[in-house]
Amino acid sequence: MPVRLIGLIPPLALVIIWELCGQYHMLPRYLVPPSLIVSTTWRMLLSGELIGHIGASMFRIAMGFLIGSICGTAAGLISGSVRPVERFYEPLISLTYPVPKTAALPIIFAWFGLGDAAKIVAITLSIFYPCYIAAYYGAKSVAGIHIWSARNMGATRLQIFFRIVLPSALPQIFNGLRIAIGLSFIVMVTSELIAAQKGLGYLVGAAEDNMRFDIMWVAVVTIGIIGFCADRILLMIRSRVLMGQLLGKDQAHG
Amino acid sequence: MSEILDAATAIQLSPALVVKSLVKTFSRQGRAVQALDDFNLTVHEGEFVAIVGPSGCGKSTFLHMLGGFEPSNGGTIELDAKPITGPGPDRGMLFQDYALYPWRTVYGNIIWPLEVQHVPKAERAAIVERFMSLVGLTHFRDHYPAELSGGMKQRVALARVLAFDPKILLMDEPFGALDAQNRELMQEELSRIWDRTRKTVIFVTHDIDEAIYLADRVIVFTARPGRIKQDVKIELPRPRGPDIRKSPEYTQYRNLIWDLLREEVMRAREEYN
Repeated sequence: MPVRLIGLIPPLALVIIWELCGQYHMLPRYLVPPSLIVSTTWRMLLSGELIGHIGASMFRIAMGFLIGSICGTAAGLISGSVRPVERFYEPLISLTYPVPKTAALPIIFAWFGLGDAAKIVAITLSIFYPCYIAAYYGAKSVAGIHIWSARNMGATRLQIFFRIVLPSALPQIFNGLRIAIGLSFIVMVTSELIAAQKGLGYLVGAAEDNMRFDIMWVAVVTIGIIGFCADRILLMIRSRVLMGQLLGKDQAHG
Repeated sequence: MSEILDAATAIQLSPALVVKSLVKTFSRQGRAVQALDDFNLTVHEGEFVAIVGPSGCGKSTFLHMLGGFEPSNGGTIELDAKPITGPGPDRGMLFQDYALYPWRTVYGNIIWPLEVQHVPKAERAAIVERFMSLVGLTHFRDHYPAELSGGMKQRVALARVLAFDPKILLMDEPFGALDAQNRELMQEELSRIWDRTRKTVIFVTHDIDEAIYLADRVIVFTARPGRIKQDVKIELPRPRGPDIRKSPEYTQYRNLIWDLLREEVMRAREEYN
């Protein structure tokens, strides 16, 4: 058995034990066996119900992630490379960073209504910070000698920013994006639990209220699978983009 | 033969770099340290000048000032009669740790200065090809710096700096990070390339052999504050092959410069203790 497949053993074992316990009626009501989750998922996929919820959630995540990561990364890069900007924003960032964005959800809902906008804003706000901080330290970590050699070649400030600072910061930017992906799923579920008509988070809450634990598990597992795929896609992009920088350093996800 | 030599001396008559009463002080732990004091130097076009001196004598600082990275506290530096005020592509800098961009391939690194300087697209590729082959790295064009040895990295850096055709090359211990064998090979390679390009070079090193082997003039710095202790003309024939290191003239130069340097190293040691 190849070493890279070793990671499959724990989840497989878990599913088998879980299923066996289900067959022998050893599970509490809210813990339905995997076979039931699979069959319910199949039924909901065929009826199109699940796709609708996935679509609603993915739209919010995609928008929130896009806006939040672009704004956060851009702000962090500028802050990390232009001293006055850093001074200007630093207190504001430090002050608002520790506030849990989910605690601000009621305010966000009051401002942006109960539709998609509020959820997108909540996701945007939450992932702005990890993206900002990663890009900020990424920009700070640029090698002084790379700036020197660029200036020596006659590069302008803009050229240095886009062609030296940005690529230097990319490894850290990707770390930030990875945290942001996980966070955006958490905020998506939380905000949909509070107020939504559609979406995977809504599905979890609604199924729970109706004691339909099989549907609740369908939603939970779907979130897990989509989140896993999103993370893998990001890692693939990362290893492609950072080809030169990762050589001999990080083969873990190669 | 004598005609060629005459032509060479004629070219050398025009001064490329003129440094007049240069002063540099910086503060270290609240104390003012005099790095350079009333420093004067004239380098002619096409000359290869090596600078040696005890560590901390200000020779690297001097090179950084030539590069425009460090301001002076008095005096002037002029390149082709124009004062140096900041970094610029008329002075190509070669760093000890190569300063290659890890996210760019060999080809991408060498072409970058041409992109920065808006060299017409059609010309870029040809220039890069020419200098890749000059340093013998054509087969490594798609490799990333992380895949290259130290010597190869410095060859990429050399090709990159030659590609944008600066008037003068500033080299800051470029082979200092290499092992002894690679160092000698790179010195021979640089000597060969210099014979073909005849750029004006200021080469800072702490390796006396390297300085003699490569340079037309070896400038020996005093301990801090840095001044010229002696300006030694190296009259070894060119092109210089590896055998020249075995010649008696070479050994004489070596002894002369080592004696000069030893005094300064001892003086520096007393001062710091």
